[in-house]
Amino acid sequence: MPPLRRPLTRLAERWQNAPLAGGLLALFLLAAGLGVIFLSARSYAFQKQQETEVQAQILAASVTAALDFGDTRTAQESVDALGVNPQVSAAGVYDSAGRLFAGYARSPGLLSARFDRRAPRGGNLVEATAPVLRGGQPIGIVYLQAVREPLSRRLARYGVVGLLALMAALIVLILGIAQNALRRANRALEERAEALSGAYAELQVQVEERAKAEEQLRQAQKMQALGQLTGGIAHDFNNLLTVIQGSADILRRPGLDEEKRVRFAGAIAQTATRAAALTSQLLAFARRQPLQPQILDVNEQIVEMTDLLDRALGERIAIRTDLGADLCAIEADPAQLESAILNIAVNARDAMLGKDPSGGGTLTLATGDAVLDDGRRAVAISVADTGTGIPAEMLEHVFEPFFTTKSVGRGTGLGLSQVYGFATQSGGDIRVESEVGRGTRVILILPCSTKTEAPEEVREGGHEGAARAAHILVVDDNEPVGLLAEALMEELGHKVTRAHSGLEALRLAQRTGFDIVFTDVVMPGMSGLDLAERLAEVLPGVPVVLTTGFSDEIARSGTGGRPVLFKPYRLDSLAEVLDSVLASNDREPADRQAGDQ
Amino acid sequence: MHRPPSLRRTGLRRAAACLALLWAAPAAAQPSENAVKAAFLTKFPAYVDWPASLRIAPGAPINLCILGGDPFGRTIDEAARGQQVDGHPIAIRRMAGAAGAEICQIAFVDGDSAHGTGDMLRALQGRPVLTVTDGRDGPERGMIHFVVAGGRVRFHIDQAAAESCGLTFNARLLAIALSVRTGR
Repeated sequence: MPPLRRPLTRLAERWQNAPLAGGLLALFLLAAGLGVIFLSARSYAFQKQQETEVQAQILAASVTAALDFGDTRTAQESVDALGVNPQVSAAGVYDSAGRLFAGYARSPGLLSARFDRRAPRGGNLVEATAPVLRGGQPIGIVYLQAVREPLSRRLARYGVVGLLALMAALIVLILGIAQNALRRANRALEERAEALSGAYAELQVQVEERAKAEEQLRQAQKMQALGQLTGGIAHDFNNLLTVIQGSADILRRPGLDEEKRVRFAGAIAQTATRAAALTSQLLAFARRQPLQPQILDVNEQIVEMTDLLDRALGERIAIRTDLGADLCAIEADPAQLESAILNIAVNARDAMLGKDPSGGGTLTLATGDAVLDDGRRAVAISVADTGTGIPAEMLEHVFEPFFTTKSVGRGTGLGLSQVYGFATQSGGDIRVESEVGRGTRVILILPCSTKTEAPEEVREGGHEGAARAAHILVVDDNEPVGLLAEALMEELGHKVTRAHSGLEALRLAQRTGFDIVFTDVVMPGMSGLDLAERLAEVLPGVPVVLTTGFSDEIARSGTGGRPVLFKPYRLDSLAEVLDSVLASNDREPADRQAGDQ
Repeated sequence: MHRPPSLRRTGLRRAAACLALLWAAPAAAQPSENAVKAAFLTKFPAYVDWPASLRIAPGAPINLCILGGDPFGRTIDEAARGQQVDGHPIAIRRMAGAAGAEICQIAFVDGDSAHGTGDMLRALQGRPVLTVTDGRDGPERGMIHFVVAGGRVRFHIDQAAAESCGLTFNARLLAIALSVRTGR
């Protein structure tokens, strides 16, 4: 309830009896008015009597001498003077014997010739007598007769009072009625406020429902995208797994000749590589691909790629390069950059061959200086084709995963999303310009590196065996992966001990001196990184090699300088990492010894 | 509303009423001129104030003196009998001349001749005595001077003479006088 309501209610309750009170007050006022009129009428009669008596006394005093000395004329003058007053109807002066001495009568018959005390005329008349005194002795009597003020005039006078009382009563009544109306208006206002708050609450509920519905819609869209994604992955992986499964089945058959064994083993390795590329692309899209950025010269990378592109695109596509001079170096993962350009190029080829399968087209690779939206200097790599182009309404979807215009089986729909993921993860941007029928241009913009020196990457050739046999502790909660690592390391000539958890590994490491601890990162309980930290405390001399297919933690906080081997790894890369770790570990104690000397 | 009675009828009624009044007065009595004057003399003290120093003791009479001739005889004694002024009875005193007139509050002066009246008036001059004279006796005037006008006894008042002696007339008496002589 709004806080407005309570005072309003209280006010309304307080004034509930207002009209009744107003009516009573009005009645009281009317009664008071009538009372005033009544009192006024009574006091008028009394006053009139008094007045007449006073006049009689005045007359008596003024005619004393005239009566005493029998001066009728003077007496008559005095009496006549009273006659000027219209309310005096008769006046008489009687001598001590009761005989009329001088008199005035407005109309005959009003005055008797002899004074008669016991003959009051009453009616509308006011009578008064006064003795005529000479030296305290009565010598006669004066009789005065006056008419009351005419009723009409009195009524008019009282009418004013009555009218005033009536008006006061009316005002009170009107005030009461107005009060009542105000109360009704207040109540209406209150009801409206209540309705408003109700409507507000309803609106709130609707907003919440709307938000819920939108959330549900988003969830549904997410599920749809997830379905699309899993569907796409399942489709591609099923193809790859079919090859691996079939090859493995053939390899298991007894009496297989050497040529077939090599061929199908090769097929398994090749297919696995393609599967690894697919997961790598997925991770790149998710922007969780572990990048291994290096300082690169873009032009050099593109020149190196030209042969690869020639083979990948086929004879009907001409490749033209337009490389800008004096470009700054960028910092990016060269494999990812290559993959991105290849993805764009493959899309371009499909667009050009889709337009005219027999004709072909030209792919133009150009580089140049560019500036990012935030003002950083950058290098633009533009890949333009002369293909079908992309309609405007589809242009905004091209970077979405599994969005493809190609027929089922021809593309994964992950290509451009890998490019998008790579560009944004490298701190750059990507733009697409297209015109239907004319072609498409994809521009990859990568920021210039602040580092100047490109570290020398020394790659050694394939390993027939390890440079030095070592005792390695392999830590992995996944049994088959652990077994494979053990097999590969034994193949390289190392001695292997296995642990299935971080705690077990810690226990074993403290008991036995290992040359290397090779640990998976993502494990229940103690993670590989936690293990590495603990080992650094208790056994600082033992090097740790991390391995993972994907790790949020590494992507977030790095490895702390420890080498990482990304799954799926191959025998060569495993041998390389182990050899380099062993080599540096062998050098360090020597350095320390040298330092001590 | 009633129409007023016609003027003519009203006039007739008034005339009738007046006739009735006139009829009533003479029908009661026809007092003689002397009787009226005697009555007047006894009534004057009620309308005159004497100086405060000469206040009459309670119960003591007011002396009405008749100097010189007495035209009233018994009439004035009868008139004075019933009169009282503020509780004072009126005593009639007859004197031959002004000698001994100090006791008088009122003096009716009627000399044997015009000369005599004037002498007595002069003898009383300056005294707080209300002097009354009669027009029948000559031109000499006291403070009140009787005349007959229109068949009725009337009087003139000499207020200036009265005031010079410390006497004050009641205004009511002045109102009915034929004339009032004032000092101003």
